[in-house]
Amino acid sequence: MAKYILKRLGTSLFTLAVILTIVFVLVRQMPIEGYFDNFDKLDQAVIDARLKQLGLKDPLPVQLKDFFVRLIHGDLGTSARYAVNVSISEIIGKKAPLSIEMGVISMALSLVLGIPLGAAMARSKNKFWDQFGTAFIVFVSAVPAAIYYIYIQSFGSTLLGFPMLFSRDDWRTWILPVFSMSLGNIAYYAMWLRRYMVDEMNKDYVRLARAKGVKEKNITMRHVFRNSFVPMIQYIPTSLLYTVSGSIYIESLYSVPGMGGLLVDVIARQDNPMVQALVMIYASIGIVGMILGDLLMAVIDPRISLARKDSAR
Amino acid sequence: MKVKKPKDALTAPLEQAIEEQITKKDLQFAAYDPEAGERSGYSNYSYWGSTLRCFFKNRVAAGFMLVLVALLLFTFIQPLLPLQFEANLIIDHPITKKQMSNLPPAVTNVAATAPAGTRLLVHPFDSEEWAAVDNVVSTIKARKEFTVLEYGEEWCYISYGDEEGYVRNDFTTKIKFPDDQAATPYQAKSNFPLSLYSSPSDLSNNGDALFCLKSQLDMDGNTAVARQDVPLRLLPDTRPFLFGTNSAGQDLWAKVWSGTRTSLFIGITVAALQSLIGILVGVLWGYVKSLDKLLTEIYNVIDNVPTTIVLILVSYIMRPSVQTLILAMTVTGWVGMARFIRNQIVIIRDRDYNMASRCLGVGTSRIILHNLLPYLVSVITLRLALAVPGAIGSEVFITYIGLGLPLSVPSLGNLINEGRKMISTSQSYQLLFPTIILSIITISFYIIGNAFADAADPKNHL
Repeated sequence: MAKYILKRLGTSLFTLAVILTIVFVLVRQMPIEGYFDNFDKLDQAVIDARLKQLGLKDPLPVQLKDFFVRLIHGDLGTSARYAVNVSISEIIGKKAPLSIEMGVISMALSLVLGIPLGAAMARSKNKFWDQFGTAFIVFVSAVPAAIYYIYIQSFGSTLLGFPMLFSRDDWRTWILPVFSMSLGNIAYYAMWLRRYMVDEMNKDYVRLARAKGVKEKNITMRHVFRNSFVPMIQYIPTSLLYTVSGSIYIESLYSVPGMGGLLVDVIARQDNPMVQALVMIYASIGIVGMILGDLLMAVIDPRISLARKDSAR
Repeated sequence: MKVKKPKDALTAPLEQAIEEQITKKDLQFAAYDPEAGERSGYSNYSYWGSTLRCFFKNRVAAGFMLVLVALLLFTFIQPLLPLQFEANLIIDHPITKKQMSNLPPAVTNVAATAPAGTRLLVHPFDSEEWAAVDNVVSTIKARKEFTVLEYGEEWCYISYGDEEGYVRNDFTTKIKFPDDQAATPYQAKSNFPLSLYSSPSDLSNNGDALFCLKSQLDMDGNTAVARQDVPLRLLPDTRPFLFGTNSAGQDLWAKVWSGTRTSLFIGITVAALQSLIGILVGVLWGYVKSLDKLLTEIYNVIDNVPTTIVLILVSYIMRPSVQTLILAMTVTGWVGMARFIRNQIVIIRDRDYNMASRCLGVGTSRIILHNLLPYLVSVITLRLALAVPGAIGSEVFITYIGLGLPLSVPSLGNLINEGRKMISTSQSYQLLFPTIILSIITISFYIIGNAFADAADPKNHL
């Protein structure tokens, strides 16, 4: 197992390099106009000087080599346009903890609410909890997030008296954004857990267990739930990543100074060093998440083997 | 070793006996007989037939299917219906050329009705059939005195020069009255210019002329008298603004349906392409272990190149259009589907029945098609059904970050995004209508997907 993990990590480093190279090349295909606020009014000389300063005049392989050499030394570079000449690690170091905190809380909330909801729905198929849960899931997935977020904000602040804008030290301001963020995930977990559990409940071994007189509660928890949770577990590390990277809608609605929308923002402003740094961070979390997902799945379900080579073609 | 066939002498009588017993009747095709079939163990069970039957047993799901099909058909029928506007037509007032923006939704375009006998002012308008009218007889300049003949809470009957008529009495006019307002007549004035109406109601479109049929008026130069109760319309025709108009003065009804057509097209195409590529790659990825490592790394690469970069580049190279969006969303979206299928396959890959097939020497493609995919029909259909609203939803998101379709190509994404700006104003209907349609589409796909997934599980077929 350890060998397998090491191998995966080794190939992941290579993958990361490929991703960075692709992104590096892609962002340099963007139009030159994007690097300037008032491109039309500038002299060619000024433009050339600025491009040289940004290091865009060198041949591409040289730029790429410089970038990787700096990266290996642990230097992410400085922001070119987002916050001019501020070191990127400083910008991210300031913004990331808030998004991570928020993401982890909302993730925990969605697991705590979503999993029991899904299990309750599967157990009471076509009865109250199932119908309640279905209505909730349908609502959350039917109404665009951008819209129900706005309604949650306006109702939460007018009817329930929660503050409209986020402030780090006031716990009451956390409730609305965290709750809004969790809704989608709660629905997602509940929906898939129900699907897998319902599929599982029809299987022969469950029928046998029932025929043997095993208590319904034990069947659900020991057999059905455990087996249905296997495909779910793969998504948990990845969706943690998505909550950590912040929600662009929510952070702009409540003016949370987090990472949400940072990537979109810097791409739109063509701040190449920032784009590369952010992609590197997100990609690393994503790859680690994928490995973790595979490992968790193998741990929970012994029938799944990742390392064994001879079991399939 | 060759066995010599025994000579006919021995077998001939036997053959003859058999031939005598088998008559022509026995060699005819038998029709299918359910009872006989039952006896012989034959079953006419067909998987898809049972799935469909099971699906249509679910009345709710069948109902939503109907709604969805009707919606889809209507998006195509709508432009052919009578009394429709072009989706991108900016509707101007025919005389003042002002845009007819932010008109509330209504079932007719009748803005007001002039009671019989109302005196109306006719504006010059070049039409055989329609007359442009309002009931503003003249304008009283600011700070001019006039005589109030009768005081009312909303309308005051006054005389000014040689004209008599009504002026509005509310916060927009702020007429200065004496202390005892009821003791008419008296002089009064306002600090604002006033419109003098011929009847106590405002028969105009915010000061612009309304339209009615000439045949319903008694025309006399530039004034006219209503011969009957005359409906006064916003435009010289009868087309209503069912969903109102947007801030640019375009008919929202036409825009919403045109947008629904675009969005459904994008959603269905993207979902189909995504699942085609996704299932193909996902199955190979999950089943063929030697490909697992390679495809996992390819997945990591594609999944981690931010969608936004791809979108910006694609729209930079190809101009934002429906095709561009479909391309960009497929390029970035199929990996999710592939991974989903892969995870499912990994779970059932090593189950005993597959081991058995492998031991018997069944080929990979046959195992995939006969052992693995049928097992996954229910989860795949659910995923597929969710992919359509998912694609529409990501179109909304793409529009939100400013990379969506241009406003001249209406889609639910840009309609919702435009409407979002109006959420807390009285024009919130501009958000409401596209949102309702989007919700109907999403709910239908969700319920149909779930019901179909249930129906696709053969254990539910009995």
